[in-house]
Amino acid sequence: MMGATVIDGKKFAAGVREQVAAHVTKLKSENGITPGLAVVLVGEDPASQVYVRSKGKQTVEVGMNSYEHRLDADTSEADLLALIAKLNNDPDVHGILVQLPLPAHLDSDLVINSIDPTKDVDGFHISNVGLLGTGQKSMVPCTPLGCLMMLREHHGSLSGLNAVVVGRSNIVGKPMAQLLLGDSCTVTIAHSRTKDLPEVVRQADIVVAAVGRPEMVTGDWIKPGATVIDVGINRIEGAEGKARLVGDCHYESCAAVAGAITPVPGGVGPMTIACLLANTLTACCRANGLAEPEGLTA
Amino acid sequence: MRAALIDGKSIAAEMRQEIAKEASELAAKGWQPRLVSISVGDAAASEIYVRNQQRSAESARVQFEARNYPNDISMEQLVGVLQGLNADPRVNGIIVQRPLPSHIPVKTLQKAVHPLKDVEGMHPASIGNIVYNDLQLGPCTAVAAVELLKTLPLKIEGLDVTVIGHSEIVGKPIAFLLMGLGATVTVCHHMTRSVAMHSRAADAVFVAVGKPGLVTGDMIKPGAALIDIGINRVDGKTVGDADFVSCAEVAGWLTPVPGGVGPVTVAVLMRNAIHATRLQMEAYSDAYAKTEV
Repeated sequence: MMGATVIDGKKFAAGVREQVAAHVTKLKSENGITPGLAVVLVGEDPASQVYVRSKGKQTVEVGMNSYEHRLDADTSEADLLALIAKLNNDPDVHGILVQLPLPAHLDSDLVINSIDPTKDVDGFHISNVGLLGTGQKSMVPCTPLGCLMMLREHHGSLSGLNAVVVGRSNIVGKPMAQLLLGDSCTVTIAHSRTKDLPEVVRQADIVVAAVGRPEMVTGDWIKPGATVIDVGINRIEGAEGKARLVGDCHYESCAAVAGAITPVPGGVGPMTIACLLANTLTACCRANGLAEPEGLTA
Repeated sequence: MRAALIDGKSIAAEMRQEIAKEASELAAKGWQPRLVSISVGDAAASEIYVRNQQRSAESARVQFEARNYPNDISMEQLVGVLQGLNADPRVNGIIVQRPLPSHIPVKTLQKAVHPLKDVEGMHPASIGNIVYNDLQLGPCTAVAAVELLKTLPLKIEGLDVTVIGHSEIVGKPIAFLLMGLGATVTVCHHMTRSVAMHSRAADAVFVAVGKPGLVTGDMIKPGAALIDIGINRVDGKTVGDADFVSCAEVAGWLTPVPGGVGPVTVAVLMRNAIHATRLQMEAYSDAYAKTEV
């Protein structure tokens, strides 16, 4: 019953990390430069700690320097801004990531916008948002960048394809739409206010679902042969009360109709950190006036 | 003709009245809104825009100063001029007139304008704010086009909208603005396989491509709104991107060219001047509140 090609995000991410590692080796031997990523964690949110640890580990694995800054939950805004200013001015640091969410007393927008945009490897600085929004060179948010890489790999050229992005979040939906426009797709951004969502999705050659609603998109919404990229990660109660992870798409029914689909877990998820490393490499190359690695950025 | 015309001139006049009131209120608080326009080299090339803006400013009670710098001014000198204007609390908005000589890259100049004085909405930070749904200082033409749609008895939330053209300063910002207002937006461009398929499905169509006659009546859903942002010269006449005669038979509402988006664009520039002045007033009072006296 399943006709779709499964896009293996784990394997794909490993390939991206290999490319990054190869380029880092070259940078070290030819230019004497080691890319560095600084990760700032404020407080002790358990999920954030897991992310930060795994980011640090993968950074070192591709041969980059990892700088971890763990601050107390009650760190003042002034102290955090001072640390960011120091990192902005540190030539060994090419990428800065402030792990979100921040404790409530800190203003995330203010903190993110204090990062030097050229070191903003999350692509959340307001200037990077604007640069991407107008098709200029910028740092691109990791998750949509990962989706774009997988789509390019699967389709070759995306030019002229109808793409529907479901969800208009700042970190996925909106940048995703801009990246697809940049690759000359005809793009529709659909969301909770869209009148006939299934009908809109049925027009799409490419569907990117990023709404955070478990299994909302079902097979009857999908045009036969379409590519389905599922960004959602939702924890639901499965058989016998065991929790399991599902995407925003109902996998079995969509896979029966789609031409290609990303599973959850193991689809888009693993790409996010791989793209963070790719962004750090890109930032390092730009900072040193070197050619950007091919295929690792928008 | 079936379509009702959307009268940009009278909409702009109403906006200016409202702006004039707000400008007077700000002036009473010591914050008379003031714009400075910068043109470089041959003033004739941008003269008509500057004159239009000047006239609109007068009726909106916004002060307007037009400056022209010689063609051989260096990039560094010009950025210096902008930095001076950025620092001057009596200047609330800076307009960079185009065309610029080839040694002055327009994007670099636009980035040199302080985001709080970016009344044209061209700084990356301004665009970024639009993407993030802070709709205060948007690019004037895009905001004007959306403003015209807002005057119609249509609920924008859930409205199916097709934008034809994905330019940085018009098509894309229109898409973000509408998305922020809850519309379902489709963006078409020169690589789109069938523009008609998308435009015919839409309750409202925006076209900003620069090709006369691109949109014809058979591409429009009966009763839909058509906002034409194109400005083209054909046989000595100014026309839009829509074929007016055939579209007017099908559309429910239609903007004329000229007299549609154009006049509202200049009014939006003035409204941006008010927003910018207010933002600066707030920034100063915040800073003052934190100063130990």
